[in-house]
Amino acid sequence: MSSTPLDSPATARRALSGPALIGLVAAALVAVALPVFTSGYVVYIANLLLVFVVLCLGLHIVIGETGQFSMAHAAFYGIGIYASALANRAVDLPYPVAMLFGALVAGAVGLFIGALALRMRDIYLALATFAFGEAMQWVFANWDSVTNGPNGLRISPARFGPIDILSDKQAYPFVLFFCLVMIGLTVAISRSRLGRSFRAVRESEVAAMAMGIDVRRARIVSFGLSAAIAGFAGGMFGLFQTFIHPDSLGFQTTILVLTMVVVGGLGSIAGAIGGAIVFGLISEVLRQAPQYQEIIYGAILILFMMYAPRGLFAFIGDRIREARHGR
Amino acid sequence: MAAESSPFLNVEGLTIRFGGLTAVGGLDMAVAKGSIHALIGPNGAGKSTTFNCISRFYTPSAGRITYDGRDITRMPAREMAGLGIARSFQNLELFGELSVFENVLIGAHVHAGRSWRDAISARPRGIVEHVEQLLERTGLTSYAQTKARNLDFGHQKMVEIARALAIRPKLLLLDEPAAGLRNREIAALDRLLCELRERDGLTILLVEHVMQLVMSISDKITVLSFGTKIAEGTAAEVRANPAVIEAYLGREAVQEAAHG
Amino acid sequence: MDLQLALIFLQQGIASGLVSGSVYALLALAIVVIFKTSDVPNFAQGEVFMAAGYVALYLFVFQKMPIWVVLPATLAIAFLAMALFRRFVLDQVAKSAKDLVYLVIATLGLSYVLKGLVRRTGFGDTPRSFPALVSTDSVMIGQASVTMLDLAIFGAAVTVMAAFFWMFNYTKTGRAMRAVGMNPKAAQLVGVDLRRCHMLIWGLSGVISAIAALLISPKILMTADMGSIVMLAFAAAIVGGFSSLPGAVVGGFVIGIVENMVGLFISSRAIVLAPFLAILIVLVLRPQGLFGGKLTIKKV
Repeated sequence: MSSTPLDSPATARRALSGPALIGLVAAALVAVALPVFTSGYVVYIANLLLVFVVLCLGLHIVIGETGQFSMAHAAFYGIGIYASALANRAVDLPYPVAMLFGALVAGAVGLFIGALALRMRDIYLALATFAFGEAMQWVFANWDSVTNGPNGLRISPARFGPIDILSDKQAYPFVLFFCLVMIGLTVAISRSRLGRSFRAVRESEVAAMAMGIDVRRARIVSFGLSAAIAGFAGGMFGLFQTFIHPDSLGFQTTILVLTMVVVGGLGSIAGAIGGAIVFGLISEVLRQAPQYQEIIYGAILILFMMYAPRGLFAFIGDRIREARHGR
Repeated sequence: MAAESSPFLNVEGLTIRFGGLTAVGGLDMAVAKGSIHALIGPNGAGKSTTFNCISRFYTPSAGRITYDGRDITRMPAREMAGLGIARSFQNLELFGELSVFENVLIGAHVHAGRSWRDAISARPRGIVEHVEQLLERTGLTSYAQTKARNLDFGHQKMVEIARALAIRPKLLLLDEPAAGLRNREIAALDRLLCELRERDGLTILLVEHVMQLVMSISDKITVLSFGTKIAEGTAAEVRANPAVIEAYLGREAVQEAAHG
Repeated sequence: MDLQLALIFLQQGIASGLVSGSVYALLALAIVVIFKTSDVPNFAQGEVFMAAGYVALYLFVFQKMPIWVVLPATLAIAFLAMALFRRFVLDQVAKSAKDLVYLVIATLGLSYVLKGLVRRTGFGDTPRSFPALVSTDSVMIGQASVTMLDLAIFGAAVTVMAAFFWMFNYTKTGRAMRAVGMNPKAAQLVGVDLRRCHMLIWGLSGVISAIAALLISPKILMTADMGSIVMLAFAAAIVGGFSSLPGAVVGGFVIGIVENMVGLFISSRAIVLAPFLAILIVLVLRPQGLFGGKLTIKKV
């Protein structure tokens, strides 16, 4: 599942080679120029995509790195959204504090779920976490006193010192910043001893144990980190959204993030980021054709699984390599 | 002559029962420090079961396992690496999707946690050098960036050993290291194990079926059959032991040997 | 709540629970028969169920075809659709990548496609009802009230289950399916055509889901989202122990009864939560379900 290791100098050189470097610079320019040259709607989409990137990074940690098929992602996202919105309303501190609070609450629940899930693998883990996700959505929709239940929750504007964020364009630099921070954090985790222990657990729990890795602890921690990152994405959501409804915090969202990660390429951070952007754009475009939305979406999933299961980037990479070296 | 010191790894009265079946009954086995000790026996003798008990993947029903003076009978498997006990697996438990380099690097997990800097780094200083040395000793340097599951079988077995060595063990437990290897590879394994004993002072316990390797390098051999020890001694002693011949080849073979 | 009322609710819960439970049991069977033989949890099961219901609706109500044509036609279409999906989509996915997750996502894709198709045809827009073919007169069993339709549903479901078990355990085809589930390579060696067998299994699963749809459609409001009932089927399968066929049946009845009990004794709001709590409780406390046997320890 993992593509090239991030720790070899050869890979680092390859990653920063010609075309990749140009691509990176181009992306950076686009990112910076976006709010200046485009409409509020485009910036809104960009904000949304950046949140999905962070959601995908969170899912990457628990599935891509550690191999635990958690289908509860939307639940942690939702916890982060509600917790950060409520904290923002309750206390007059700068918004990042509320965001951290959201991440911490989500992370704590993640640790708990991770502990419960220790005995489970594969389909059972997926079903149990899915059930938890659905149960959590029920809580969001029925815990009226806290979440305002089925009416949804209004999110107050984020405040950074004297500044109130009131538009997508105003929020964008912050959303972009936090996204980049999360990318950096995920890369750091992946390259660290902790990340190596995650991958070891994924590949062979038995061997990981023999190497002195505490498998149970690794699994719980990966759940907690994944949930915290998803919760942080929830805080990011609150930067530019004014309302949250429990309907958007269920299985649909978890599946969307899962397919982004798989389509991008399971096991690689670049895949998670790319999948979020590409698939996020696709699903946004599809929203324009609601009649065909589901059919096309399902067809894309099926086609990808049939012909490019290892993900878009692996597929493109293989085609490029074939073109270069001939068949 | 130095006084007889207590054995480095001491198994006393080891009994392992699965439900109603006694896989191993009252086994005593002493492994001397710095020696290569082989555990052999026909299929079903209880070798792997014993081996898994020592490496703490199973827990014995009775008996005691002492390592370097310490009672490890009930210690959790993941504490073995920290004590300097490393093992390989009969059915290869490689980190298949990871590179050979990363496999061996993860082997050094217990050492990479010593400092903050090491724990965060993708290439912790002292450890990377050690890993590269291990790759060289096991002939894997050119495969460092290859995914472990893409290697041929012989090289994969070497990765398991290199990974175990990254623990910097004092006791190396090998589960059928020669199984499936070609003669050339067995010879290389032979050389490596002897080098580990002479140069690095490792104590090695191996479960093995490939007799050419066992007879060549073992200082002491313990023979199991149906869960009990039937013989123990040097290669020459064990080879001539009628009980051993009978266990492997049956009673007729013993009679043939006696009359032949 | 006084004892009198509690007893009535208890009987009602069991009676109604057995009826809806029989349908969940069928769906759970459909899920488990695929999982047992190919390790794939079919996340499109609910949509297959839903689409079959709509096919029947279309043929019967809009094309005005007679019921004795509609029933076999629907089953045949369900069989073909599932078999062809297995053959042309999943076989290709399995060729491209060995990991199960890709097969599972392909089934997710199928669920979207089916739901989208039904919505596209316009039938899925407003809730529809399927005319009942058996009278909906009430019948009292003890102090519980059920309809003739309910009894017919229960009877038909149990009959189908019995037929299925007979087929699975006593015919050559069933034996082949069991062999494929236990050891596909060995099954191949003794002459089982794996490809055809998998197609048969998926087709069979489709037929069972279609029957479940035909049975329950008269009782509920048909919408394009009615496939969400599959969660109850998954819960049933888990309660029974995910690879146990008899377990799936028992699980179905258990979930049906629990669902009704929750509705009667707690609140209708809580009904939605019940299957998910059931899944969580079973997986945390006894992951192998009721019939799953001991958890195996990996051989090292």
